[in-house]
Amino acid sequence: MNPATRDFWLPEAAEQAAISDSIRSALHCVEEAETETRSRYLDSFDWALYRAGAALLEQTTGQHRELAWLDLRNGGVIVARQPLENAPGFIDALPPGPVRTLLEPLLGIRRLLPMASVGVRARTLRVLNDDDKTVVRILLEENSLVADATRPRRELPARLRMIPVRGYARELEHAARRLGQALNLTPADEPLFHAAMAAAGLMPGAYSTSLDYQLDPGQRADAAAKQILLGLFDTLEANVDGTRRNLDSEFLHDLRVATRRTRSALSQIKGVFPAPIVDDFKARFAWLQQVTGPMRDLDVYLLDYPGLRDSLPRAMRDDLEPLRDWLGSHYAEEQSKLVEALGSPQFLSLRRDWRAFLQGAVPATSTPTDPENAGRSIKTVADRRIRSMFKRLLREGRAITDASPAAELHELRKTCKKLRYLMEFFQSLYPKGELRRLIKQSKVLLDNLGEFQDLEVQALYLADIAKRMYAEGGAGAATMLSMGALVNTLFEGQQRARAEFAQTFAGFDTDANRAAFDALFSARKHAVVAAYSGAGPDADSGARPGTNSAGSDSANRGNGDSV
Amino acid sequence: MKIIGVYSIKGGVGKTSTAVNMAYLAAAEGNRTLIWDLDPQGAATYYFRVKPKVKGGGKALLSGKRELDDVIKGTDFDRLDLLPADFSYRNMDILLEGAKRPTRQLGHLMRPIRREYDLVFLDCPPSISLMSENIFRAADALLVPLIPSTLSARTLTQLDDFLDQDRSHGKLRVLPFFSMVDASRPLHVDTMARLAEQHKELLAASIPQAPEVERMGVHRMPLPAYAPSDVAARAYLALWAELRSVL
Repeated sequence: MNPATRDFWLPEAAEQAAISDSIRSALHCVEEAETETRSRYLDSFDWALYRAGAALLEQTTGQHRELAWLDLRNGGVIVARQPLENAPGFIDALPPGPVRTLLEPLLGIRRLLPMASVGVRARTLRVLNDDDKTVVRILLEENSLVADATRPRRELPARLRMIPVRGYARELEHAARRLGQALNLTPADEPLFHAAMAAAGLMPGAYSTSLDYQLDPGQRADAAAKQILLGLFDTLEANVDGTRRNLDSEFLHDLRVATRRTRSALSQIKGVFPAPIVDDFKARFAWLQQVTGPMRDLDVYLLDYPGLRDSLPRAMRDDLEPLRDWLGSHYAEEQSKLVEALGSPQFLSLRRDWRAFLQGAVPATSTPTDPENAGRSIKTVADRRIRSMFKRLLREGRAITDASPAAELHELRKTCKKLRYLMEFFQSLYPKGELRRLIKQSKVLLDNLGEFQDLEVQALYLADIAKRMYAEGGAGAATMLSMGALVNTLFEGQQRARAEFAQTFAGFDTDANRAAFDALFSARKHAVVAAYSGAGPDADSGARPGTNSAGSDSANRGNGDSV
Repeated sequence: MKIIGVYSIKGGVGKTSTAVNMAYLAAAEGNRTLIWDLDPQGAATYYFRVKPKVKGGGKALLSGKRELDDVIKGTDFDRLDLLPADFSYRNMDILLEGAKRPTRQLGHLMRPIRREYDLVFLDCPPSISLMSENIFRAADALLVPLIPSTLSARTLTQLDDFLDQDRSHGKLRVLPFFSMVDASRPLHVDTMARLAEQHKELLAASIPQAPEVERMGVHRMPLPAYAPSDVAARAYLALWAELRSVL
C-alpha cells in the first residue's frame, strides 16, 4: 500500500527560498519550475459530501482538470481521482469513474456548486535516488483563498507536503527523518479544507431542513412559536437565490416545504398571535405557495419522467417523448414567471414584514388582551395541540369505509400531516426515542394517503396536459395513447393505495400507539414540566428535552401541497 | 480496466518504445495507467529508472505469496505506475506450466488491481509461448508493431493463424501498425502499400525510424516527455489517439 501524504504547516514568515535551500542541502533533489494551480471545493448546497466526511476538489493544472475525493475523517487523504472534461454540475455530466461511484449516492439530484476557490503556488522538489529516479516529492505551497464577487483574497496557511511515490516507502521515511532534523516542522493537524472554508466565511454542514428547534418547555408559547417560524423562515430565505437561479430543483422544493410548514405552524400553533396578524400572513404565504406551484409541477414530472416512461410497455415508450418535449418547452416560461414572483414587491414586503414580526419582542408579562395561549408554556400548548390532532385523526380515520369518497381520505391526509408537523416542531420537548417512533408511525400512514392523493393528482394533471398538447397540435395519436396508458397506470396505483388504506390505518390505530400518545402528550403525566412552568401540582418523571432530527420533508417528492 | 498487450513474435521491432510511450501518453491524458514489464531484459523498467527486481521473482507472484500491489512502483510521471521486470521472468513458462489453468494466470493476477487502473500496458517478451498465451487471454487488444518487410509481414500471418486455432481469444482485437518506418526506402513504402491492402485491421498511424527514439535509453524517459515536438513523438501521439478511439 502507498503511504499517505504528510503535511506540515510552515511558519507565516518563512522564506520559501531559504527552506528550499535547507531541503536541498539535506537531500539529493532537484527543484522544478514553480507551478500555479487553481482548485475549487465543490459540494451540494446542503453539504451532502461534507456530512459524509468528504470533500471534493476540482484541480486544474495547465490543461489537465481532475476531481479529487478527499477523506476529511482521515486527514484529507485523496481516496479517488478522476479526470474531468466538462464543468462539474449534475451527476449525469460526469463520466463513469471512481469519483462518480462515490459521489452518485450522496449527490442525488442536486448540483455540485463551487464553495470556495483556492490558489496554490508551489515549488516542487523531487528527491532522487542513485538512478536519479524520483522517490519522494516535496511541495512548498503558498495557499490563498481566491477572491470572488462576494469576498476578498485571503492568505491561507502555507504548507510543506511530502508526497510519497508508490513503492518507495522507505525513502519517504528517510526523507522525513532528514527534514525533521533540518527544519523545525509542525505537522498539519487538519486538511486545508477547513482553513479555506473559515476564510470564505462558510460553515460546512450549516444548512439543514430538519426541524431541530431547541425549545424550553417553560418558554412562553408565542416566543417558542416565533423561534420555530424564524427557523423555517431562515430555511425559506436560504433557498431564494438558488430557486431564482434554478441551480437545481431542490431549492424550490425546500422553499416550498418551508412555506408549507410555515402555513401549518401558523394555523396549528393556535392562539399565540393576534388573529388578524395570523390571517394576513396565512394569506400571503398561501400566495407564495401558489405562485411556486407550476414550476414545481414541471420539476416533478421531468424528474419522474424516466420512471413514468419505464412504467409503459416497451413498445409505447418512445411515443411518450413529446410529453417530455412539452414539459421542457414550458420550463423557461414558468421559471421566468417564478423569478418575477420572487422579485415582486409582494414577496419583498412579505419577507420584510415577516422578519420584523418574528424578530419583534413578545410581551414580558401576560395581559388579559393577549391571545389565549400566548403566555402559556409551550409544553402545555404542544401537549394539547398534539392530543387534539391525534384524536381528530382517529375520529376521521375510523369514519372511513370502503365506500367513502376520496375527499375524506384527502382530509385525513391533511390532518395526519398537521399531526406530523406538530410532533416535529415540538420534538425537543419530548423523549427522543418515543417520539421518533410515533413520527415514523405517522409517516407510514401519511405515505399511503399521499400515494392515494398524489397518483390521482398526477393522473388528472397528465390528462389535462394531454388535452392541451392535443389542442396545440403537438401530439399525434400514438402519444395520446401512451399518455392514456400512463393515466390508467396511475389510477391503478391509486386504487392499490386505496385498497391498502384500511390495513394501514388499522396498523396506526393500535392500543400500543394510543397508549404511547397518551403517555407522551398527557399533561398530567408530565408534571415535572408543568412544575417548571409554574402550573402543575405533582411531580413525576417527565419530558426530557432532547434533540431529534427525525422526519424531514426533503424525501417527500409528491407534489401534494394540500396542507 | 482495459488491458493492451504490446506484442510481436519477432524482437527488435520497437515494442518496448511503443509500450512506454503509449503508457506515458495515456497517463498524461488523465488515465490511471500501469505498464507491466514482462520482458526479462527489463528495458521498459530501465527507461523508467526503476530497479529490475521483484522480491521472490515471478514465482512469488504466481504463487500469490506476493501481490502485485506490493510490487508496483510509481514512475516520475503522474498517474503512471510500473510493474518492474525481474530476471526470473525468463523462466516464466516453466513456472506457468506447473500452475493450475496455466493460460489464465496473468489475468487472474491482475484481478485485484482492476479498479485501480483504467489501462494496463503489457510489454511482452517476443516469441509464442505459454506466457504469450496468457497475454492473449488477458488482453482486450494486442498492439503489434510491424517493420515493413516481407519477413515481418509473415509474423503477422503466423499470429493470426495461431489466434484462429483457438476460439477462446474471441474478444481480442489485433491491431498491427507499422514501426521503424524509413520512408526513403522503396521497399518499406511498397510493403506498406501492399500490406495495407491485405490487412484491413492495420492502423493508419505509423512510427518512423528516428534517432530520438533510440535516445530514450540515454534520457531514460518516454520520448514525449523530453522531445514532445519530435516527429516520432508526434507519431506516437497519433498512434495513441487511434488506439484510444478503437478502445
